This record gives sequence, structure tokens and C-alpha cells, in this order.
Amino acid sequence: MTAEAQQMIEHIVRLIRKPGLTIDENTPLVSSGLIDSMALVDLLLKIEDLTHMRIPAGKVQPKDMDTVAKMFVTAQRVGKPRK
Amino acid sequence: MAATMTGCRSLIDALAAAPGDRPFVTAWIDEDERGNVTFAEFRRRARLQATIFCDHGVMVGDRVIIIMPQSISAMTTFVGAMMLGAVPAFLAYPNFKVEASKYRSGLAGVTANLNAKIVVIDEEFPDDMLGHVSLGAETRLLRAKDSGGPGADVKLPELANQAGSLAFIQHSAGTTGLQKGVALTHAAVLRQLEHLAEALKIDGATDCVYSWLPLYHDMGLIACFMLPMVCQMPVVMQSPLDWVMQPETMLQIISEHKCTLAWMPNFAFQFVPRRTPPSRWTQYDLSSVRAMINCSEPVRSSSMQEFENAFSAIGLKRGVLQSSYAMAETVFAVTQSDISRASGPERIWADGQRFRSAHLIIPVAEAAPGAVSFTSSGRLLPGNEVRIASDSGALLAPGCVGEILIKSDSLFTGYYNRPDLTAKAIVDGWYHTGDLGFCLEGELYVIGRKKDLLIVGGENFYPQDIEEIVANHPAIHDGRAVAMGIYNPDLGTEDVVVVAEVGRKELLANAMEIEREIRNLVVGGIGVAVRLIFLKPPKWIVKSTAGKAARSATREKLLKEHPELNVES
Repeated sequence: MTAEAQQMIEHIVRLIRKPGLTIDENTPLVSSGLIDSMALVDLLLKIEDLTHMRIPAGKVQPKDMDTVAKMFVTAQRVGKPRK
Repeated sequence: MAATMTGCRSLIDALAAAPGDRPFVTAWIDEDERGNVTFAEFRRRARLQATIFCDHGVMVGDRVIIIMPQSISAMTTFVGAMMLGAVPAFLAYPNFKVEASKYRSGLAGVTANLNAKIVVIDEEFPDDMLGHVSLGAETRLLRAKDSGGPGADVKLPELANQAGSLAFIQHSAGTTGLQKGVALTHAAVLRQLEHLAEALKIDGATDCVYSWLPLYHDMGLIACFMLPMVCQMPVVMQSPLDWVMQPETMLQIISEHKCTLAWMPNFAFQFVPRRTPPSRWTQYDLSSVRAMINCSEPVRSSSMQEFENAFSAIGLKRGVLQSSYAMAETVFAVTQSDISRASGPERIWADGQRFRSAHLIIPVAEAAPGAVSFTSSGRLLPGNEVRIASDSGALLAPGCVGEILIKSDSLFTGYYNRPDLTAKAIVDGWYHTGDLGFCLEGELYVIGRKKDLLIVGGENFYPQDIEEIVANHPAIHDGRAVAMGIYNPDLGTEDVVVVAEVGRKELLANAMEIEREIRNLVVGGIGVAVRLIFLKPPKWIVKSTAGKAARSATREKLLKEHPELNVES
């Protein structure tokens, strides 16, 4: 796992604030009800930070953000260089 | 403005009167991609859609269900159906979180109740979701064709005076199982739009609406689609999902398109400033906005204050943030605050003790100890009357808290095909809203709901739907689950909180696993994430005399045991 993915996981665990909860790169987040759609913005902002890219929301569906692994694949697919 | 609407017998007449070269809808995807149509092009595409419906045998009065993503094509399909005198209804697009079988049974219920002739899905509708829309023999499935290409300017059948006929059906709550189809006539919709245009002093030549609101909700459908259509006013819209994932785009779109009007639920007023990095605020300019209206959830002045404090430095003018009380059953708005008032909606402070114990509003000074604050939703629009009633139905005086009853010249005809529900909701011409509020000096203050509805991010959910799913979990005692909405001040909206009894005390050792399964079941069933789950030992939940879980008493017990939840402001 990359250092960025590890940082993303730590960010999500802080966001969920559930004692004892562990997640990995492939834990479903949105489809399991751990994260609601209003928290997706925090994940997008974080991934923009970690990848140094701009990610247009118009090209992203919540299912593309369901796991940490998918988030990085999505960033590679639709990310644009920062202006 | 009202002059343009006068003489129109239907929404289609009103659309026909719009200047063809004026921009109508801009669908914003991102800064490099967007779709635009003028009023003339919109009419052309809608007519094309109407001929497709005609070929499929759609006739006057037939119900047409539209399940398409937020797009110009969804809007032309809706209007195309109206052009034939058919009655369209938007339904929510399937959400990947919701299991196919749950979505299908909800949809089957709605199609059966509407006895719909056609269900229209978009061209891109994913094949693996087709199972979501399998229907009975009476209803046909139609894939919408992109009507952007060239097409003959076809002649449609002439319609008789449609004023008294149904224009469309709006659905009032998010969960499909209990959805009620609010049936509205052209005349009712036109009267509402006329009042609204007057109150907001709309000028189609200079105004422009910004919207991220879903077309299947009243704010999106009425304020951000029908109002622009009839007032000949441009609208720039984006999909609700794109907005929620990047609320900053709202600032970008308003700045680029110099939008002047917008409607939002309460939570959005704090969601946008909190979820846009402050370092980027200065890239934007909100000086074009002349009214941004808070409706659909109880209005909280703290949320509006936060938005104003954040964005006054980038041009947001004082008095732009306003309020309204709106619902599908009256087409849309019942009240609107005075947009010329520079200090925004009226606010009052009342004695907290008397409010809680006697449900009375005794105005006190802002600084008085224990004072509670209320923000007005504004004054009644013309053609609307309000009454405040006690539980026993007695009329209450100004300053007394009770159920809000409405009489309106834009009241719905009834819940489609549900005379039983209609008879309960409209009594002697008065619509019983189920909301609690009070009147004071001509202003209406809405403070909450009498019925146990949960409002999460502007969407309505019935607790029964969630409780049924939770109670189906094998570890949970049958019928011993209570779902409630608890205000989350960080989000400005409610969190879904579930409390449930396990069948045997030993099961609590497994709590983590059971919680995980419950979350999965609820999100798979109705698409909403449960924020907190409390598993309790047997006999914990408070029962009513009939042996059922008593929601409000259980809520009180939970708040007492978990004071950290008690943050109601």
C-alpha cells in the first residue's frame, strides 16, 4: 500500500470517529453505510491534496469513491493538473 | 411580470410565449463542459419528445414516470409529456447503494398506484440496473433518445382548455414505499408561480436562477424549473450529487453566470462555507445574487449567519438571505419573507421556559436568560390562509404553538389514487401540514414537525421504513427498533440515529458486527447512512400501552442516557 493510501485510511478513520473500527484499501465505505454522501466532499478534498490534482466532481460518481483503492484509481482517471 | 402569465391556461401556453432566442437551461458539468438550450431549442426538443410519446400511444391524462439523471433531456421529456396533456412525474434515479430488489419494489408500488402507461429511462441507464425497473404488463419501458439532433418540427394534437386538468404529479418523500403522489392542476401551478414571481419581483430579462436541487423535489421542480420556464428566465443547474461532492462549484457557477436567485435547504447554508477551503473563497464573487432563499427544513438563523459571515467579503449583500415555507401539497411556497428587508427574515426571542412548558411564545429581550430564538418563514403569499390548531383541533391565538393548517389557491387536488390519504390530509378545505409553528404579527414561524419525519440533507424519510429494516435483523427483538432524526450542528441537518433491543443480552458481545450488518441493511434498503446505532438489552425501549415501541418516549430516554446527543439549538 502506498503512503498516500495509508494517509487516506487514517483520514477516514478520524472522520468516522468510531472506536475500534478498522478499514483497509478495499473496505466498502459508501455502500456499507459507513460514510454518507455529505462526507464525500471531505474525501474528494483529501484526495486532491494527496494527489496534487484537481478532480472535477462532474466526472465522479459515489461508487467511484466506495473504497480507498477506487478513490486513487478515480483520481488517476479524471484528475487534472492544478491550475 | 404577472402580465406574461395572465391569459395562459396552461404551463405549455406559458412556455410558448417565451422569446425563442433567450437562454433557458444551462446544465453545468464542470468548467470545460456544459450544455445550453434557448427557449426555442427547448420547445423543439420537447415537441420531438412529445411525438415519440404519441407514437407509443400516450394520450391525454396518461401518467408518464421519468427516471433520468438531472439533465436538459429529463426536462424536455417532462414537458414533452405535458404537451400531449399527459401527466408526468419525476422519480429519483437509482442510487448504487440501494439494492436492486428494494428499488424495484418501491418503483412497482409507485407505477401501480399511478397506473403509469410509460416509464422513461435515459440512454445511459446502466444495464446492470435494468433489473431495477422491470414492470407489470400494463406499463411499458421506454429508453429516451437524446433529442439534441435535428428533427422535423412536428405538429401536435390541439388540446382543449387545460387549466383544470392535472399538469403533473410531485412526490413528497424520499422513500418509495410510502410515497404519496401530489396531483397538481395547471391552474394551481400557474397561480402559485404568479404569486411567487410577484413576491420576488422577478424579471426574466435580468434574473437568472442557480440550482443544484433535484427535479423530483418541489424546490428543484417548481422554483428552479417551472418558475424559470413560466417567467422566461434562464436557469443554470448542476446535479445534486456533483454539488454535494464539491459544494464549492456553487460559488463558481454563481460567479461565472452572475446568477441572481437560488433556493436551498437549511443545511446547505453551512455546508458550503465549511466544505470550501477558505483559501479559495476570494476566487469567487457573489455580488450578483439578490435573493437566496432558505426553505424545506426549519430555518435556523445560525446557519444563515454563518453563510453571510463567510461570504460578505466576496460580495454577498446584506438582506440577500431570505426564508420561505414551502411544500409539494401547495405546489410550493405558502410564505415568503420580504426580500426588500435589508436585515433578512424577522427574528424573535421568547421565554424558553414558557415555550417548553406551555407552548407559548412570550417575547423577551435577546439577552434575557434562557431566551430561545426563532426565525420567521415570512408572510403569507396572496391566496393563502393559515390557522394554528391544538391537538384537539381548537383554533389557537397568535403566539400559541400548534399544528399549521393551510388553505391555498394553489392547493393540490389530492394524493393520486389515494382518496383515503387525501381525506385525512384535507379537512373542510384546510390542509393539515403535520408541521408545528406559530403566527406572530403576521409572520409565520415553523418550528418542527408533528409527524415523525426525518429530514436528512433536505430529503425526507419515514422512521417506519428504517425501523422495519432494523427489526428484520435476526439479533434484534421483533418490533423493538426506533429510528429518529437528531440535529447535528456540524452539518446543519439531522443525523439518522437508531436504537434497537437485542433479543438476548449475550448478543451485545457481538455489537460491532450487528451494527455493521444493520448499517448495510439500511443503506441497501433505502440509501440513507445511519450515523449512530445504539444496541440495548431486552426491555430497554419504552412501549406504548398497545405494546408498540413509543418513539417520543424512547427518544427522551436515549437523550437522557446519552447527554452528548442533546445539542438541539
